[in-house]
Amino acid sequence: MAVPWSLCWRSSAGAAVVLDWCCGLSRRAFTHTASASRGTASSSALTQVLFRQGPVHNLNKPMILARHRFRCLYSTPRVCCSIHSDAKLKDPFSLAQKDLQDLYEDIKKQLLVSKAELKALCDYYFDGKGKAFRPMIVILMARACNVHSNKEGVLLPAQRSIAMISEMIHTASLVHDDVIDDSDTRRGKNTINKLWGEKKAILAGDFILSAASMALARIGNNTVVSVLSQVIEDLVRGEFMQLGSKENENERFKHYLEKTFKKTASLIANSCKAVSILVNSDPEVHEIAYQYGRNVGIAFQLVDDILDFTSCANRLGKPSAADLKLGLATGPVLFACQQFPELHAMIMRRFSTDGDVDRAWQYVLKSDGVEQTNYLAQHYCQEAIRQISRLRPSTERDALIRLTELMLRRDK
Amino acid sequence: MAWRSRLSYIGRRHLSIIFSNPSPSNWTKVVSDAEKIVGYPTSFMSLRCLLSDELSNVAMHVRKLVGTKHPLLNTARGFVFDSRNNIQMRGLVVLLMSKAAGPSPSTSDPIHDSMISGIYPSQRNLAEITELIHTAFLVHRGIVNLKEWSNSDGPLKDMQFGNKMAVLSGDFLLANACTGLAQLNDTKVVELISSAIGDVVQGIYHESSSSAEEGSLTLASWEDQTFLSHGALLAKSCQAAMKLARHGTEAQNLAFQYGKHLTLGHKLNSDLQPFVKSESEPAVFSLDSAPVVFHRQIVGPERWRHQLKQAQNMARQIDYTKLRGLIKMERGVSQALDLCSYHGNKALEAMKCFPPSDARSALENMACAVTKF
Repeated sequence: MAVPWSLCWRSSAGAAVVLDWCCGLSRRAFTHTASASRGTASSSALTQVLFRQGPVHNLNKPMILARHRFRCLYSTPRVCCSIHSDAKLKDPFSLAQKDLQDLYEDIKKQLLVSKAELKALCDYYFDGKGKAFRPMIVILMARACNVHSNKEGVLLPAQRSIAMISEMIHTASLVHDDVIDDSDTRRGKNTINKLWGEKKAILAGDFILSAASMALARIGNNTVVSVLSQVIEDLVRGEFMQLGSKENENERFKHYLEKTFKKTASLIANSCKAVSILVNSDPEVHEIAYQYGRNVGIAFQLVDDILDFTSCANRLGKPSAADLKLGLATGPVLFACQQFPELHAMIMRRFSTDGDVDRAWQYVLKSDGVEQTNYLAQHYCQEAIRQISRLRPSTERDALIRLTELMLRRDK
Repeated sequence: MAWRSRLSYIGRRHLSIIFSNPSPSNWTKVVSDAEKIVGYPTSFMSLRCLLSDELSNVAMHVRKLVGTKHPLLNTARGFVFDSRNNIQMRGLVVLLMSKAAGPSPSTSDPIHDSMISGIYPSQRNLAEITELIHTAFLVHRGIVNLKEWSNSDGPLKDMQFGNKMAVLSGDFLLANACTGLAQLNDTKVVELISSAIGDVVQGIYHESSSSAEEGSLTLASWEDQTFLSHGALLAKSCQAAMKLARHGTEAQNLAFQYGKHLTLGHKLNSDLQPFVKSESEPAVFSLDSAPVVFHRQIVGPERWRHQLKQAQNMARQIDYTKLRGLIKMERGVSQALDLCSYHGNKALEAMKCFPPSDARSALENMACAVTKF
């Protein structure tokens, strides 16, 4: 295979699966890649399975070429260098800042509850200390699509609602995840379940979701309602996928990436799609917005999974190796397993035997699992850039491009 | 110990939520007659949902809970083993209401052709969604607070696992309700049903926080809270069924009223069951049930505290049979009975404006059945 980073993957079968996921290649392009790299057509069954996920892509030019070109244009640096000194990279955040000023206040206004205690629970994470990462992307995407559609300067109120709803859905799912994982802390605070108990935490999550759903309905657009309802289903299905592990290596990668899409990327992808639908009727624009969100979302989670191994405990707001402790095998472990097959048994028993977590941790650090996961994240970012570059140039579009670099470099 | 008694109380309440059939024989007959009218039996919990990988996954895992005290086990048992008794009243009422209201008033409406036994497919989907939401909250109601769990009650790990399954399966049902709602293609209906979900949450939240200081409810707040936790979903679903067939605001309002009063009457009926049974049967009831709330209002807080003390046994636990005797000496029970027939009659009244039909009669029979003991 001509693409240099692919050399890092020891199992080219695994790489083919991953590759396909990265780019959402058309069926022809995929078979082409597979046969070019391995000279076999054995992957056709796999191809069929893979192509049932995600929408179908109608891109005219061969993707392989496009990928080459963009690889040269946008090389992304490696993980784990601090960004705080670099003012220029903060741009995406400051650019969206004005539109997001009253975000949390507006969310709290949506949470209409008569009982003071339930109100306090619902408001708990909307304290203004979150990164508001999702709303930021949504706002920038909305403005980029608006420029693309010749409607400069105006952010539609409905588009801003989508930004708000995306944060609400995200928060509702966090509240439930903390109960499922029995977590004590989140963003440096005690979790709702620790403070008020599991029962009330679940109800608070349900309430935030119902408020988000009402706000969504009030936009009055059936397509937008459908698009974001899909997110809610994906979130739960992703959580279910996390319960199981796959015996077979290829299956395991596919399972991991599909889970990552459902748990993290679907929300970003579909929110981006929703804001594009609100301003432009061209399905191709919707697809660009969706694909950008999908690729950025998966990359975001891959970096998160890396940070679980590389970041020290207090930075991420959660203890490191948290995923291993929950029995989850993320990207770095899956890559490490190709190098150290000893990990296989541990993955299958979900690191449940004494000492498994430490041993797995050691193996991952000895392997280049972290590095390879990072390459994979870079690749998703390149695809996101390729997609968004199809929109007409605008400050916001460029900010979305810069955001991918920022994301790869983030250390918390 | 406190936990143990509360858990068994929750367990019982759970069963009573699932199987709460006022005067079982009468109610069951009314309901099974009504089922015939709407076309097919009331297994609305969509097959799609029950046959999904996700729920069969849960079913597999729930087996691990056998022998533990996690409430999810009872809830699940209710679906699987007692599906015959687990009458999905809410879905049925939505279908009957749809049929009673008839086709869309504007005759040129293209949705006409899609009616099956007098009900639009969207209304059938709505009935299913209503059941999904109701079931989701049965499951979420059964989440256990881990802090209140002591080691003597059994391994904490089992409870954590049970919670995990309960959160996931409840969320799964809610998510399916959300996508189902979106497919109805009516944002007003999405908004209405979403607000009903919010209502149910507030109602249940109240339930779970006042259970700590059980017996603190006033009559007015009993009605408010019962509407939120039991009535809002059905009332708003009935209203939405009218909206889907493009009936006007008047029909929507009547349907809402029927759903509201039927559930309030139904709840009063089941609250009254322990008080109308023969004296010899042992009694168990919530101190927040309607007859107790009425009684407390009549005797005042001081005498009530005295009576609670009176009803305590040697182990300082409440002897419910004794307490029932004290309550039955006052007018609380008869006032609750009056309120029950008031709501039954209000439900009947709401049906008057609908044209006579089998479906209307069935809804009237249900409204009558909740006032019979």
